[in-house]
Amino acid sequence: MTAPQNPITRAIWDGTLPIKFSLDGTEAAELGAKILVEPYFIEAPRCSYFPLLTSQIRKYFVDMALNFIGDDAEIWYDVDGIPLKWHYPIGLLFDLHTGYRPDSNSPPPLPWPVTVHFKNFPLDKLIRAQAIDATQDFFMSMIKEADFLRNGSTKKVMNLSKNDQTQLWDGLWSSSSQKYRTENYDRFWSVNYRLVINDGQSPRHIPLRIYLPDNCNPLTLGEVLHQILPDLFPSSLPTENAFAAPVIHGVIPQLNIPIIWASQNLCYPDNFLHIVVLLGT
Amino acid sequence: MSLQAADLNSTPHSSSTSLNTTLVEAPTPQNPTIALEKYKKKDAAKVIVRFRAIGNAPILKQNLYKISASNKFQAVIQFLRKELNYKASEPLFLYINSAFSPAPDETVANLVKCFNTDGHLIINYCTSAAWG
Repeated sequence: MTAPQNPITRAIWDGTLPIKFSLDGTEAAELGAKILVEPYFIEAPRCSYFPLLTSQIRKYFVDMALNFIGDDAEIWYDVDGIPLKWHYPIGLLFDLHTGYRPDSNSPPPLPWPVTVHFKNFPLDKLIRAQAIDATQDFFMSMIKEADFLRNGSTKKVMNLSKNDQTQLWDGLWSSSSQKYRTENYDRFWSVNYRLVINDGQSPRHIPLRIYLPDNCNPLTLGEVLHQILPDLFPSSLPTENAFAAPVIHGVIPQLNIPIIWASQNLCYPDNFLHIVVLLGT
Repeated sequence: MSLQAADLNSTPHSSSTSLNTTLVEAPTPQNPTIALEKYKKKDAAKVIVRFRAIGNAPILKQNLYKISASNKFQAVIQFLRKELNYKASEPLFLYINSAFSPAPDETVANLVKCFNTDGHLIINYCTSAAWG
């Protein structure tokens, strides 16, 4: 079955993000990497999920002679130390974690640097995926939750034939394959169209979720210096601070490092972050 | 807001104190950080959760519980497991309104807001997947 031609849903379906997957440095050594492991680059659909990419990412790193023998469900991802929720769509995670405003003048932070972990699954921060089917179960639960909001019951989803329900997931699951993009779009949207159009009835409620910024813009070293010594650091940006520089452990750190990271990593044994300010040449 | 500002411009000697008060009370977001903190404040309210066993799942002696709305759904799952004396390895499935299972990281406040029945959140539980 072909889906109704809708250029908007089609453009969203085709939306992708270039991602750079690097193996966590400490883990690489533990897994027996003798040399520097090159990162893996992929153009991932914004509408897809990380667990759907895991098998090819795993294959890449295992081909680099890493002796990881665990389950795919043990593999997890993080950005700047924040574990990525595998049950969120990739595009949502990018918007949420980069805090990149599309209306800003700076270019987007692409390819998006994501760290891959094969060990130490953060059980306190991420939901444990029991099996590889967990993503599908979560996805179908979300679809049902949305249906419940629209109609006060999950009848519309439950009345879909088994084949139609499978088609929703299969379309999404295979969406990273460039070759069959149109076929997969048709598979997904020929079924999903019936759910979102809701038989022409206006929905009781609109399913939506709002995400407030969270740790997206941590206070940086530059901002701290600017707040405390505004005359020496007239701006929090490195380029505009030509006449003073901070020195920590004999190094001039970048002004855009998060202050909390600096405190955790750059402090002396007395737990203080000692910053020496030096004036320009 | 804009009307008051216009008034001030036409009468520059009016009391500035009253203007300041109106400015503070105005709903216009003067400071996004404060606005954000307000929206992110945890819901301290308690909500009523009603558990219903499905199939051959063991029945609870008490099925109504008051829990903090700020809890994650994960806390509800753990609570029920404890009440039933279930080990982590034993299967237990939880559903809202016999319809779907929410993500464990969803807050109870959101679930009550969206899916309550007469103010109660109805949670069905069973030992095998029921509405999968």
